[in-house]
Amino acid sequence: MPVYKTRTAFEVARRIKVFLNLEAGAVRNGTPVPGDIGASGDPGREQELERALEDKERVVARLSAKLVAAGNDAPGGRRGNVKPENVIWMLGTARTGSTWLGDMMKNLPGHDLWHEPRVGEFFGFYAYERAAGRKTANFILGPQHREVWLKSMRNFVLDGAEARFPDLEASDYLVIKEPNGSIGAPLLMQAMPESRMVFLIRDPRDVAASALDAASEGGWLQTRMKKSPRVRARVETATSQPNTLVANRARMYLQAVSNSRDAYEAHEGPKVLVRYEELRADTLQTMKRIYSELGILIEERKLARVVKKHAWESIPEDKKGPGKFARKATPGGWREDLTSKQVRIVEETTAPLLKEFYPTG
Amino acid sequence: MRVAKKPGLVSGGSLLPVLKNRVAFEVARGIKAFLNVELGLIRGETPGAESGLTDAKADTREKDTRVRQLGQIGRRLAGRARTVAEPAAGDGAQDNRVRPENMIWIFGSGRSGSTWLRSMMSDMERHRVWEEPMVGQLFGVFHKQAQEGQLRSANFIMGEPTRKGWTRSIRNFVLDGAHYANPRLGPDDYLVVKEPNGSTGAPLLMEALPESRMILLVRDPRDVAASVLDGARKGSWLYERKDKGRWKENALADTNPEAITRRRANMYMTQVGNARDAYEAHEGPKVLVRYEELRADTLETMKRIYSELGIPAGDKDLTRVVEKHSWENIPEENKGEGKFYRKATPGGWREDLTPKQAGIVEKITAPLLEEFYPA
Repeated sequence: MPVYKTRTAFEVARRIKVFLNLEAGAVRNGTPVPGDIGASGDPGREQELERALEDKERVVARLSAKLVAAGNDAPGGRRGNVKPENVIWMLGTARTGSTWLGDMMKNLPGHDLWHEPRVGEFFGFYAYERAAGRKTANFILGPQHREVWLKSMRNFVLDGAEARFPDLEASDYLVIKEPNGSIGAPLLMQAMPESRMVFLIRDPRDVAASALDAASEGGWLQTRMKKSPRVRARVETATSQPNTLVANRARMYLQAVSNSRDAYEAHEGPKVLVRYEELRADTLQTMKRIYSELGILIEERKLARVVKKHAWESIPEDKKGPGKFARKATPGGWREDLTSKQVRIVEETTAPLLKEFYPTG
Repeated sequence: MRVAKKPGLVSGGSLLPVLKNRVAFEVARGIKAFLNVELGLIRGETPGAESGLTDAKADTREKDTRVRQLGQIGRRLAGRARTVAEPAAGDGAQDNRVRPENMIWIFGSGRSGSTWLRSMMSDMERHRVWEEPMVGQLFGVFHKQAQEGQLRSANFIMGEPTRKGWTRSIRNFVLDGAHYANPRLGPDDYLVVKEPNGSTGAPLLMEALPESRMILLVRDPRDVAASVLDGARKGSWLYERKDKGRWKENALADTNPEAITRRRANMYMTQVGNARDAYEAHEGPKVLVRYEELRADTLETMKRIYSELGIPAGDKDLTRVVEKHSWENIPEENKGEGKFYRKATPGGWREDLTPKQAGIVEKITAPLLEEFYPA
């Protein structure tokens, strides 16, 4: 049923107008009647468009990644000491045991660790947040030449890695610990499709409990970065509005882990999904699985050595506990750390991910 | 059966409250006919019907366009993937890159006449324009927001210890993007990069491209604030052009003009401050242009721009582009309050801003006002 819409205006004084807007149409049970051209659109059509958009974005992302990888093999490709296929990205979110896992991996022969370059945050925040609506061909991250800027991004990462690790052997593995840059996980993995990926997750309630403890007055965050205005603000929030801090952390978890999950699903190179809880329950077996799924041969005794060296039990007692970086390492500890309201905040915010990764609660 | 009648008075960008009335009748079981009426008095543009319906329709159209665009991109990429063994024309070839010395960057701040200037330049022989790639914002804002500790760290992707490396990466990033966004650019053509809103990254970009040419375009910050305030009002060009969502929610020009004035003045400080720093450090060809002088004597200022940038430009050509893009040649219906082309009157802020608003701008931008517009 077509809508009637008219606008009338006439000037009554210099640059001052009287206007009359008229709009007529029909609704069925509050929903616009199909065919009504003024309606918000046929919901079916809306869904169809949403699905088509998602599909096409996936296709474009996959093809772009393929072109980036193919371009690298072309004559005249990069000849640096950091090989993209030897890069192991560790993505997910902070307070999930990434420092622990990174330390173990770094101590393996032929491995080095790039600690939080924040390159994922750099590109991801810009592409997915600040400039999310920009689609023009002029825009430096425009969809029209995606494969070009993905390649530039790839070179940016590899140039940075080579500048940071000039002595890395071409056969060495470079672990890039980037939990805080996980918003950019899809872009990073499309830019480096032959790289390996560790998707590390942890129960969001334990993540929130850990973040709350870290930001507490006198906690490790404040001790390490006392001059940082952002840390000061976070400590203040943790003290005066702990529920707000928990809510912020839950939202951050949702975005970072969702993007990491999307990157993980789309990634066609070697990859592994690791839950903190299993890493904690049987570290050696999980490490064996990680290396097996990443397609990297490591002797078991070497894995056992790093597992033992970095075990929770090997951390001196005075360096563990509330307010410390190594706090509790107890899956499910949120039950005693969070209030019931805080638990509800986290569970509501991260519901889709909790259901997917921690369905039994 | 008459089921609803909700008259109401709503204030907005209008001079008087707008009378809004919605009437609905049930015409069949579960189906209602409705009539929305809005009546008001407004300065400038007539507002559109504001029901969410119009927005939703635009949203659907936008999605439709996006699907079509992505389909085209996908087909192009699939074609490229099939022939990737044979490099496409210009694909990654260093020789085909844009020559950095032929790039002319326009930095400063938005609403300073950069569109006008780039329009004139684009009509010069062998000139093309890269319109707001926002590459300066991409690199500049991230770097600016980094914490001191991060900048000192070799691990941070833009940390000082590896500055040389990532500066080279920025250069490659820009040149690759410029080449692909401007595929028809000839080897001797000039590429005008209009990037006022990316001026936060001007120092990084000019460091990465030291042989490029640079225009620092400034305008009195009070006139800039007046221009933004006018554009951000409901019904005005900026308000209507922006995507739905947070921008409009935060626009504030009608509800809290002081807040938007303050925000704009702070942005001016960052953008023009950084552009000025880049200008001072830049050793390549460069020129400082005030909007006011460009407006007062466009031809002479254009001559000076080309002379200082070291680009040959004939008087005849300059006269032609100046005339073509003069204020007087813009159709009357495209000019005026609420329009992109608004006033072009230096000092117009005296009648556009309240004393309080002018005071806010003057306080925040004091160092730049003193430098570029001493009393």
